[in-house]
This record gives sequence, C-alpha cells and structure tokens, in this order.
Amino acid sequence: MPLAVLLPLVVAGIAGIAVLTYLLGLSRPAVLADTAAARAAWCREFPDDAPRRVVLSHDRHAALVETATGSGIVWPMGADTTARYLSGARITRTATGLRVDLPDYTAPRIHLALDDDEARRWPTLMEASA
Amino acid sequence: MTDQLSYPDVVTWAVPFFMAAILAELFWIVIKGRGGRYETRDALTSLVMGAGNVGSGLLLGFIAYGFFMALWQITPLDLGTAWWVVLLCFVLDDLRYYWVHRFGHRIRWVWASHVNHHSSQHYNLTTALRQTWTGTFTFMMLVRAPLILLGFHPAMVLFCGGLNLIYQFWIHTEAIGKMPRWFEAVMNTPSHHRVHHGRNARYLDANYAGVFIVWDKMFGTFVPELEAERPDYGLVRNLGTFNPVRVAFHEWVGIFRDVIQPGLTWRERLMYCLAPPGWSHDGSRDTSEAIKRKHLSRNPQDAGTPGFPAPPDGPVQN
Ligand SMILES: [Zn+2]
Ligand SMILES: [Zn+2]
Repeated sequence: MPLAVLLPLVVAGIAGIAVLTYLLGLSRPAVLADTAAARAAWCREFPDDAPRRVVLSHDRHAALVETATGSGIVWPMGADTTARYLSGARITRTATGLRVDLPDYTAPRIHLALDDDEARRWPTLMEASA
Repeated sequence: MTDQLSYPDVVTWAVPFFMAAILAELFWIVIKGRGGRYETRDALTSLVMGAGNVGSGLLLGFIAYGFFMALWQITPLDLGTAWWVVLLCFVLDDLRYYWVHRFGHRIRWVWASHVNHHSSQHYNLTTALRQTWTGTFTFMMLVRAPLILLGFHPAMVLFCGGLNLIYQFWIHTEAIGKMPRWFEAVMNTPSHHRVHHGRNARYLDANYAGVFIVWDKMFGTFVPELEAERPDYGLVRNLGTFNPVRVAFHEWVGIFRDVIQPGLTWRERLMYCLAPPGWSHDGSRDTSEAIKRKHLSRNPQDAGTPGFPAPPDGPVQN
C-alpha cells in the first residue's frame, strides 16, 4: 500500500477510534470500591508485601498504602490500576492535589487528585513510613 | 531466477480490515455489555505502538531483508514457488515463530522487545496491534536463516510471516469463548492466547504458538484456559505510564541500568542481558519459576494442575 494512502488512513483510524471510545464514556479512571479493593490492587503488584494500613482518597481513585517495607501508592492506569513504592519519591503540591515524581522509568510521574486536607496530610504519611 | 519474486505487503493491506474489526468489536461490547473492555488511553497506546511497529519496519526492515538476501545468494537450494512450497513455508515459519516467541519470554534481551505486546491490562483487538518497535535489535532474524538456506525465497518467508501476524490479530478478543473442539485442538485460538497474555502464576510462560497450537503441545508449554481461573492481563508488574516511547523502551532502559551497576562480575552483567526476565544477581527479583513456586507455597493444592509442576515426590508419606 502506498505510504500516501497508508499514513492518512492510520492517523484518521487511530484518532477516530480514540474519540469514539471517549464519546462512549470509556475514559473513566478506575475507582477503588473500598479499602479491601485498594489492598487487592496493591497485592496484585506486590503479592509478598501485604499492606498494614490503607488510606483511600476522597474520590476513591487512589490509595496510600503502608507495608512492612515502606509506603506506596495505588493509582488508576485508565480503567485499571497499578502500584509503586514511594522510595526516592519527590512530592510536590499542585492545584488539584499532589504530584509524585519517581525514579522509575515505567512510572515517572503520578498525579493524585486530592482535596486540601489530603494534600496536606498525605506527604507526612508518605514520609513517615518511607 | 526467482530473485525478483514479490508478494503483496499483506500487513499494510490488512490495516483497513483491522480498523473495521476493531470498530465491530467495540460496538459489540458496548451493545452486548460483555465480551471485553475498551479504555481510551489504553487503546490509543496500543494503536500508536502498532503504527510505530510499521514505521520501524519501514526504517529498519532493510537490515533483516539484506541479511536474508545475503543468505539467499549463498544457498545452492531453491525450492521454487509451487503452492505446496508456500504452504510448507507457512508451517515451518510458524514453527520459527514459536521459538522466537519462546525466546522472547525466556531471554531478557528478546523480552525487552516483546514485553510491550504484553504491557496492556486489556485484551481486545487493539492489543493485537501493540507491537514492538525494537525487534531488529533482538537479532531474532537469525532464527529464519535455516528456512532461507533450505531454499525458501526471502520474499516468500516474509509473506508467510505477514500472514502469520494477520492470523494472530483475531485471537486477541474476549468476545469469542471457545471455538469448536477440533479447531481448539490444532489452531491457536482466543482461548489459548488469552492464557498467553495472563499474568496469573498458572499462565506464565505458556502457549507461545502463532497459528498452530500443536507446537506448544509438542514442546510441553501448552496450558488450557481454565473455567475457574480467568486470565488477569498485563505484566507481573504493570506499567505506570501510557507514553508509547516508555512502553517501547522501558525494558531496554532496565537492562542498561542493571548492566552498568558497579561491582558486578562480567558474568552477572551478561546474565542481566540473557537470563530469563526477573533474574537478578542478588535474588531480589522473581523469575516466572519463582512466582510459580511462591504461588504453590501459598496454594499447595494447585501442584500438578495445568501450568504448575507436579509435587516432587507425589503424596507425602509418614
Ligand atoms: Zn508473548
Ligand atoms: Zn498476543
């Protein structure tokens, strides 16, 4: 197939499918039903290190986790979740919550939507156990 | 004489079909409310990875092609272009695919390229297009050398490889449960390949097949999809980014960071490149064997069931 046909076809196709999924409401980030769901989401990534304590964010999109090894974050990856330890994290206050910069090529930056109270409290909880 | 042989570039011609099938699957899921899941950024990343794969083929394809043509100059054998030669080529190239794919999961250097195909937590037709950008650097074109030396023309081999990839497109779906028994017995199917994408301990390192599932049965890597255990898709440690560049290169970066650590022996540096994914010099990470072992220590009743080794000495006697 000539490139002059393939290229516009691919660009339009990709954009079209992305927009369509968005219009169909398939862009909502994952919600953690309760602390048990947050715990399960953590254990899905780190099965050997179960949380001792779980703090859900007010909108239940993220959770702060404390384990025997250290503290960590569970957050949405689209409709699913992933998790990371916070060792080496740089935490910055933003207008909508916190930004966590990690020395991890596969998870360099996490934006957490938190209310004022959480944005004040979470960094101390993160450091206390890190 | 057959130096000028040319076959259609089947993968690019299949692009409109891929898009139509994705739309059909998406509407099926939305209308029926079952049969899989779509998410915007996940699908977008998969599609961009697919486009990048085609792009990297256009940019770097000449390396493999040059290598194949050099072999073609050397070999005294020419099997010609009869239909049965093409058919035989397709079957043998599928065997080639099985081994390249198996190396792709068992040698970290090759996994660094293949990992991105497994990096989605979804399993739908867009996942099929989430393909590597760095395949050329794995040197897996070497595995095709015997085919060309045996007298299969490089263009025929690449044509069969393209058909193989197109076959694998439709099996990336949850909209199809199981195919008829005879088909499941011989062919790779959505059910078999869902297992391959599973991050469950049971499903790790299973079902490497491209088109014919018989290779896994022959070489002992077949694991059936169990009714009682749905595959959980993605990586053992899921990515925290949708950025296609990070998806494409993260394991190469991981290898680089591991290899340049101070204080390692040269053997350890080599092992970080060539050992199975999860190998580490200090045992701080888990390979698939370790993950299976840990699962069995938590769930001893699973020993000997599909995907898990049998208990070492059978039932314990006292
Ligand atoms: Zn694979
Ligand atoms: Zn696949």
